[in-house]
Amino acid sequence: MSTVLARQNRLKIVSLLSPAYIWLTVAIFLPLSAMLYFSFLSDVPFGDAEWHYTSENYQAFFQTSTYATLLWKSIKLGLTVTVISVLVGFPCAYVLAKAIKGKSREALFLLVILPFWSNSLVRIFCWAIVLRGNGVLELGLNAILPFEVDVNLMFSTPAIVIGLVHSYLPYVILTSYLALQAIDDNLIDAARSMGANKLTILWRVILPLSLPGLLAGAVLIFVPVVGSFMEPRILGGRVGTYFGTVIEDQFVAVFNWPLGAALSFILLAVVLVILATASPALRRAQT
Amino acid sequence: MKNTYLVWAGKVWLGLILFFLYAPIIVMAFMSFNASQYYQLPFDFSLKWYEKLGQNTEILNAATRSILIALATTVIATILGTAASLALFRFEFRGKRFLQVMLFPPIAIPWLITGTAMLIFFYGVGLGRGTPSVLIGHVALALPYVIVVVSARLATFDPTLEEAARSMGADSWTVTRRVTLPWIASGIIAGALFAFAVSFDQFVVSYFLSEPGDSTLPVLIYTSIRKGFTPEINAISTIIIVISMAVMLFAARFSNFGGER
Amino acid sequence: MADVSVQNVTKTFGSLKALNDVTMHFPDGGFFALLGPSGSGKTTLLRAIAGFIFADSGSIHIGDQSVEHIPVEKRDIGMMFQNYALFPNMTVADNVGFGLRVRKVGAAEERRRVSEALELVQLGQLGDRKPHQLSGGQRQRVALARAIVTNPKVLLLDEPLSALDKSLRVDMQIELKRIQREIGITTIFVTHDQEEALTLSDKIGILRQGTMIQAGPPREVYNNPVDVFTAEFLGEANILTGQSGLALSSGGADIKLPHSATPQSTLAVRPENMSISISEPDGDEISKLPATLVRRIFAGAMATCVLKHNDNTFKVIARDQDIPDLPEGGEIWLSWKPEHTIVVPEGSVGFDPN
Repeated sequence: MSTVLARQNRLKIVSLLSPAYIWLTVAIFLPLSAMLYFSFLSDVPFGDAEWHYTSENYQAFFQTSTYATLLWKSIKLGLTVTVISVLVGFPCAYVLAKAIKGKSREALFLLVILPFWSNSLVRIFCWAIVLRGNGVLELGLNAILPFEVDVNLMFSTPAIVIGLVHSYLPYVILTSYLALQAIDDNLIDAARSMGANKLTILWRVILPLSLPGLLAGAVLIFVPVVGSFMEPRILGGRVGTYFGTVIEDQFVAVFNWPLGAALSFILLAVVLVILATASPALRRAQT
Repeated sequence: MKNTYLVWAGKVWLGLILFFLYAPIIVMAFMSFNASQYYQLPFDFSLKWYEKLGQNTEILNAATRSILIALATTVIATILGTAASLALFRFEFRGKRFLQVMLFPPIAIPWLITGTAMLIFFYGVGLGRGTPSVLIGHVALALPYVIVVVSARLATFDPTLEEAARSMGADSWTVTRRVTLPWIASGIIAGALFAFAVSFDQFVVSYFLSEPGDSTLPVLIYTSIRKGFTPEINAISTIIIVISMAVMLFAARFSNFGGER
Repeated sequence: MADVSVQNVTKTFGSLKALNDVTMHFPDGGFFALLGPSGSGKTTLLRAIAGFIFADSGSIHIGDQSVEHIPVEKRDIGMMFQNYALFPNMTVADNVGFGLRVRKVGAAEERRRVSEALELVQLGQLGDRKPHQLSGGQRQRVALARAIVTNPKVLLLDEPLSALDKSLRVDMQIELKRIQREIGITTIFVTHDQEEALTLSDKIGILRQGTMIQAGPPREVYNNPVDVFTAEFLGEANILTGQSGLALSSGGADIKLPHSATPQSTLAVRPENMSISISEPDGDEISKLPATLVRRIFAGAMATCVLKHNDNTFKVIARDQDIPDLPEGGEIWLSWKPEHTIVVPEGSVGFDPN
């Protein structure tokens, strides 16, 4: 009797779960494995191209400093964008979670995260319009300031950073907000009743308790920024060569897929290390 | 009092951030109504870029393709995702935790990596680039969002309601249809809207999987931008932003996102 | 240590009058309960004394100091919260030491006083634990240690026992009282549990809809409620209104009115002060009336009887063995001594705040 039930249950579980997970396997996990395989080939195994197994693609990364330099440049870009987003976004999340109440809080929160769900490419394009020489920013500043300024941030690192912060800022606001909102107001009241001032409360109570959320937001920003290529291309022009754009080139311009696969895999390794390091914090942020 | 100053400073900060987030979008939308091809001011109101858009078959085709792919993604991802959420919610079995963890790679791994990996794999199995590959990729990216959103809604569901229904003689399909699904309906709708947004806004994966000349809207916009931008792109971008924000506003309504619980 | 004095305090939230001209004095070293149904303003009053909210008008003194413009963190109070509000990221010792660290007493002094406080609440061994590793009762003790470790002038407790189950609750009541006596701190605590208020406090204040209805020692308030609400809220009461009093006089009933009462007065008799007999009781002094036994509810040593006389329902609580054996529906006599007839002032809310 119980085995029949168990079998029935197993059937239900399998039939409900397998479509979704087979799809994920085919579209995500098999491709990642295929990429690992490809990264050890000398050439694409299609048509009549000659190919053999090799570790040259990985050696390329370690032999010339070009790729390592670019990876480091991408990591620095990730750190810059993450730090700025955290510094800008955390106070914003705090104001939303603790200083604003009721309906207006919900509306403002929605306003903050709404752009995040609109097309990221389009938003980068918006900045291209604003930042270009003779663009809106320059015209606006010249209208306000008594002297002429020449603002052409387009095709510069600051432009890339501004665009990326704009793209990913809502992440850190979202996760910090959720963490801050979960802090029982009684804890703040309790700290006050024991004589703590605002700074002490921030440092000793609020920051430690919202740290998992803050870290989760930071990781969610850092990871995609390290792999970004579209933003540097559009806003960076010639200075916009990063690890991500090099990978893109291997697939759409140079057509050296095995090298692209190896570089992608190195990037994935970096990402996994970061995710693994942060995973205790991420798990805590989830609950 | 000191406190009120701080609160005010905080609100000003929030206002500045909202300005930072919205000003460029507004500028871009504004420029799509400006007659000058080179974004020159003074502003001269004109609908000519929208008219031009109406005649641009390449963009219109891409837009149609994007919407169709997004709709197909929504239907597939919502059905598969809801089924998976129900199984994850209702049953205890070995490996459940692993299946839940498996949802994170598609969200957490940069799309550049996922996209190039898909390109390699789909070529390897002979599918190559094109709309079917794009659709497979989009569904995979949307699935975790649907499962997460629907599961969140399911978490608020009291399992004793199912037990009560069963005690009154309902079989498990009736229980699902009459008790469980109505309760999580709002979560399913929200999940569907998320799926639509993920697909409709998806650029990176589409970029690697689209056939040139047969691409989705964001891919077409990207190639156009790199050729040099025109207010026509502003016009189509404005339309995209309005659509995706409207979809998200609906999703937020249904998922009770960020609301008080 | 200090006394607390609340004078004519009014606080409104929007259109809601949370506190309406409340006055009460809490002498030094006493144990006080603020009692009332939910929404009565008892927690608002406590939070006004703590300094989380500022009154619209009126004055609050802690000791000689007028505190209307002093925020919580400068008031030198200790407070215990309903859900304990222990910092989940800190150990028990860090939680207890928080207020000391804020006051910069130095590491050695902090350690000494933390372990003293933990000893006092009998948690000496658990300093290194995190709050989530503790039981409900232990968390409660940590919260108490944390509230008193800084030697505050006054200890404020916001329904501190409401999250505990019944037996643990009684233990904690005794414990709380012992610690309060030991350190002699003025203690004000909010509760909606009338039994708890009667057990613990030297003086209770009863609030309803933001107004202080009555304040005084528990026995006095219990025996001389100022109105029907207080009589029924604090313990149980059989209410005999003037009208029914007249009706009761028929059918063999004989109710002796105290001197202060008129035939229209509202009377109250506590259920435990009524007794039941099969035959008509003797004595000129005794009030009595015939009734029908509707139900008898056994509850261990005591039993509750529900009785009916005409359309009036009465409740009697007595030792089980003192109740005659009688089937439900049987005819019996209800009687009580004249000193147990409470005359309830009609609609009165005015009282002497001292």
